[in-house]
Amino acid sequence: MRELAGRLAALDPEAGAAVKVIAYFDRLVDGHAGLEALVRGAATLAGCAARLEAPGRRIRVSADGRRSDLDTPVDPAWPGVDGLWLERPGPPSAVDAMVLERAAAAIRLVLERDRVPEPVEVVLDGTAAPQAREKAARRLGLGATARAIAYADGTAGVMITPPAGARAGIGPAVPVLDLPSSLAAARTALRFTAEGTPDDPGPRVVRADELGGLAVLAQAVGPGSEPVPDVRALERAAASAPWMLATLDAVATSASLRAAAAALTVHHSTLQDRLAHAETLLGWSVHDPSGRLRLQLALALRRLHRQSTSA
Amino acid sequence: MTTSTPYGPPPAFDPEAAAMLDVIAEQVPPAILPDMIPAMREGMGARLLSDDELSQDGRIELVDRRVSDEVSVVVGRPTGLRTPAPGIYWIHGGGMVVGTNRVGLDEPLAWALELGLVVVSVEYRLAPEHPHPVPVEDCYAGLRWTREHAAELGIDPSRLVVAGGSAGGGLSAAVALMARDRGGPRLTGQLLVAPMLDDRNETPSTHQMKGLGVWDRTSNDTGWTALLGSARGGPDVSPYAAPARATDLSGLPPAFIDVGSAESFRDEDVDYARRIWLAGGSAELHVWPGGYHGFDSFAPQAEISRAAKAARLRWLRRILAE
Repeated sequence: MRELAGRLAALDPEAGAAVKVIAYFDRLVDGHAGLEALVRGAATLAGCAARLEAPGRRIRVSADGRRSDLDTPVDPAWPGVDGLWLERPGPPSAVDAMVLERAAAAIRLVLERDRVPEPVEVVLDGTAAPQAREKAARRLGLGATARAIAYADGTAGVMITPPAGARAGIGPAVPVLDLPSSLAAARTALRFTAEGTPDDPGPRVVRADELGGLAVLAQAVGPGSEPVPDVRALERAAASAPWMLATLDAVATSASLRAAAAALTVHHSTLQDRLAHAETLLGWSVHDPSGRLRLQLALALRRLHRQSTSA
Repeated sequence: MTTSTPYGPPPAFDPEAAAMLDVIAEQVPPAILPDMIPAMREGMGARLLSDDELSQDGRIELVDRRVSDEVSVVVGRPTGLRTPAPGIYWIHGGGMVVGTNRVGLDEPLAWALELGLVVVSVEYRLAPEHPHPVPVEDCYAGLRWTREHAAELGIDPSRLVVAGGSAGGGLSAAVALMARDRGGPRLTGQLLVAPMLDDRNETPSTHQMKGLGVWDRTSNDTGWTALLGSARGGPDVSPYAAPARATDLSGLPPAFIDVGSAESFRDEDVDYARRIWLAGGSAELHVWPGGYHGFDSFAPQAEISRAAKAARLRWLRRILAE
C-alpha cells in the first residue's frame, strides 16, 4: 500500500489520481461500506491519519489502516471537509483535496442511509408504505384514530396528550393511516395561532375541528398575497397604541363588551374610550354584529399574513 | 468437483478490498495471456519494495546467498536476533511465470520481527522458460540447503515452516509433499496463502469468477500451461507440480490454508484442506468473505486483510511455540 499510495500521489492530480480516488470511493459506496471503511480509505489514499468528527460519531484511522481513536482535539491547521480531517498541517495537495471531498460526500450518504426514521416521522409521512405507517402507529401506542399536531417551529407530532404551552395547530382525529391529512389540517390550524402577546394576541393552540369556514380563508392567503384594506387598517390602528390589538382581540372573542373589559382588566368606560379611538382608525363600528365579524376576519387574516411572511 | 456443479452469481467483493481493486485494475488485469508475461515481469519489478524498505530502517538484515549455480536465496533476520530461532522458508508467488524472491517478502519479514525468526526466500527459475519440474525442484533444493545450513543460518531445524502465497503456496504444498516422500527435511508446518494447487482449472470457483478480480480462469490457464505445456489438465500431471493431484494427503505437516471466497482458487483450496482432514491430518482453513486473490496485499489496510494477516500470525505463533 505504501508504494501504491506513493504512486497515487505522484500521478498527475488533474488526471489519473483524481479518477482513481473517485473510483475508490464510488466502489465503497456501491458496496455499502461503513463509516470506518470510508475514513480508512481517506487515510490510506492520503497516506496520513484521518478522522471523522460527526455528531455522535468519532472515528480515527491511522495511515496503516488501524482504527486508533484519540480524544485529542482536531488541529485547525489540518485540512478538512464536513468534519472529516486529514492529520497533516498545511494546505491539502490536489489529491488530498479530492480524497477529502469524495470521502466526505460518501460519509454524508452513509449518515443519511443509516439514519433510522422515528416512528412519528413514518406515521406522518404520506409517502411511506401503509404497512410501515401501521407498524409505526403500533410502536407509538396509538389506537385506531389519532390527531396530528403541527408545531410553530416546523416540527410535527402525533397527539397523545395535548401540548402544554407549545404554539401548535391540532389536526382532526382520523384513522392512523390518514394521519398525513390530519397533519395538513393541523398545519392550517397552526396558521391561525398567535403568540398570545400584546403585539400578537390570540390563541396559542388552534384546533382544525373548530376552524369551520375560516379554514377556507387560509387558502386565500399565501406568501405573495396582498392584505385586504381591513388588514391594513388594523395594522395602522395597531401602530397607534400598544393596547390596540389586545383590546380588539378581546372584543372580537368575548361574549360581551363587559366580559371583554374584565378580560382586559380595564374599566368599562376605558374600553368604550379605546373603542371610539379604534373605530375612527379602522373605519367601521365594532359594536354591532357585522362589525365584530369584520373585525374577527381582519384579525384572522392578519395572523395568516404574519405566518406566511415568518414561515 | 465438476463443471456440472450448479453455481450462482459470483460472491460480491468485500467493499473495502474491491475499492482498491479499481485503483489497481490497470496494473493488475483479471485475465493474463501468455504474451503479457514480459510486461507483467517488468510491472512487478516496479511495484516491489526496495531492500531499503524491506529492511525497515535497519531492523532487518538481508543477505543474498547462493544455493547452487541455478538457485539463490535471500536471508532476512531481525537485527540482534537470538539464535537458534525458528525459520520460515518463503516461496514467492507470481503464477509460476513472474516474481522474484523479494515478492511478498514484507509479510514474512513482519512475522520475523514479531515472532523473532529467520526468513529464507528462494529465487526459483520461472516458467515457461523453465517448465515443471524446474521451479519445484529449485524450491526443494533451497529447502534442503536451508536445513543443511540451519546452524550457520541460526535456524532451529526442529522449527522450520514452509510458507508461500499463490503459486508460492502451491510450491510450498508441493515441497511439503516432496519432503514427506523423500525423507526430509522435516517441516513444522506449511502456511499456504491462497495456494495455486490444481492445473485442471475446472472447479466451480474458476468458472464463477471468470473475468473478475485478480488471476481469473484465463490467467490460471496461462500460468499452468506455461508450467506444464500440453500436459496441463491431462492424466499425467505430477502432484509435485499440482498438489491437488496428490491422492494421498496423509503424513503432512500441519497446514494453514486461507483463501478469499471471491477468487478462482477458493474451491481447490477448500478441497485441499478437506482432504487433509479426511487423511487424518491437521489443517486450519480460513475463507475470507469477499476476498479476491491477493486482497490482503493489494488492500492491506482493509478490515478483512488485517484479519487475514492476524490469523496467519496467530497460527505461526502457536505452531512455533517452543
